[in-house]
Amino acid sequence: MARPDDLAERRGLETDVYQPAEDSALLASATVEAVEAGDAVLEVGTGSGWVAAQVRETREARVIAADVNPHACRQARDRGLEVVRADLVSPFRTDSFDVVTFNPPYLPTDPDNEWDDWMEAALSGGETGRRLVEPFLEEVGRVLASSGCVLLLVSSLTDREVVESIAADAGFETEAVREESYPFETLWVLRLFPVGPDTS
Amino acid sequence: MKESLLDILCCPVDKADLELDVEDRTDEEILEGSLTCTECDEVYPIEDGIPNLLPPDMRDEAAA
Repeated sequence: MARPDDLAERRGLETDVYQPAEDSALLASATVEAVEAGDAVLEVGTGSGWVAAQVRETREARVIAADVNPHACRQARDRGLEVVRADLVSPFRTDSFDVVTFNPPYLPTDPDNEWDDWMEAALSGGETGRRLVEPFLEEVGRVLASSGCVLLLVSSLTDREVVESIAADAGFETEAVREESYPFETLWVLRLFPVGPDTS
Repeated sequence: MKESLLDILCCPVDKADLELDVEDRTDEEILEGSLTCTECDEVYPIEDGIPNLLPPDMRDEAAA
């Protein structure tokens, strides 16, 4: 999809909200597969709301879309989604969701080469590419129902093994449910299940 | 936001329940109003149907 130094190209003309791309399609298909009728579903970092909308259109589920970016919130609402402006999962109650899905910003970024706008925030995963993955994995167990699961998009640019070890430390077992290779990266969708009695 | 959203929302800081104040609504949803934490009294605005539940230290932070 994009080399890290292609960030400028990847931004394109859109400067406010990340628009659906190959990674969105991969995450949407894995999420739709994981959701059952009657589930409560949260998309963290929904961007344009495209993934959340795919789930709502194909499943009888309640879908909530969250984003930190006010422009993204507005686009997601324009798709008819229920939207909350939120920092990751912080304003959601314990045990609220059967499925939480997240395509985090993951392109590793040189701190001297940042744009400091909303699109930057949507793409940049900081120096490691894991700027938001770590706090997300630490907190997501709290909002997840005991039989719930997390779908997380991971790129080879951010080191899947490190992400899996952070997930294990947060009390999750992981399984790759999608894999797709591009010239400069491989994308996976990891499905995370809470293990053991204490996952909160 | 739909009123039923309140069932899954909490204060992002202390996870306490929120109290809804409605200024403008349709039959289906609340367009303008606020959510107030029953524990710390922090007020979270609802604008154009979207509740802003960013923690206070992030709320005023805008991208350049």
